[in-house]
Amino acid sequence: MATEDLPRDRGRSRRPRSSFWPGHGTNRARTAVIGIILAGYAWAAGAAAPFSATALICVLIPGVVLAGLASWRPPERIPPPDRLDITGMSFWVICVAALFEWEASAYRDNSPPWHPSLTDLVNPLIGPHILKSAAILIWILAGWALVRR
Amino acid sequence: MTMSPRAITIIGFAVVIAGLFLLEFLARRPGNRIPTLGQWLGYLMRPRIGRVLILLGWWWLGWHYFAR
Repeated sequence: MATEDLPRDRGRSRRPRSSFWPGHGTNRARTAVIGIILAGYAWAAGAAAPFSATALICVLIPGVVLAGLASWRPPERIPPPDRLDITGMSFWVICVAALFEWEASAYRDNSPPWHPSLTDLVNPLIGPHILKSAAILIWILAGWALVRR
Repeated sequence: MTMSPRAITIIGFAVVIAGLFLLEFLARRPGNRIPTLGQWLGYLMRPRIGRVLILLGWWWLGWHYFAR
């Protein structure tokens, strides 16, 4: 099983320490600059009005950039496990299926006030500019983490 | 005391999402058989089609929440 190959030293070294941040330990300045640029981009993107061309472009740019990086300049990837433990994975499947079912039941009913969809619950939460910008930054970092996989 | 259907819906979402965080926490404990989110996503992204679909799903989430 994949997880049996992992070290059991309290899980502190389960992944390479340099797996996520580019140039970790060797080029912190570059990482800091990239972080500032991303935060600035997220702040600007968070100000875009919903359903506007600006908002669409702000979402398209990270997608195009990450797709380009993944295709033409792929970063060092974190090796995926050869196998997954079926029992362990089944817990994830149950939780994800429950989330989709709960969302689908709301979507099927057209998201009425008495059974709102996750989107209708999340949208007011990311209404304030700073929270929307933080969510956009997390989304971009998640995309980068996926490209590393 | 009775709960409104809306409250039940919100609690349902909260429970499931808390369950996902709990699984990730448990997966990171040493000696656990549960894979981390990154491990099983990485496994799904081994074939090219899986990689494309997962990245498309990530982009769709951004479009859905930030552009609409």
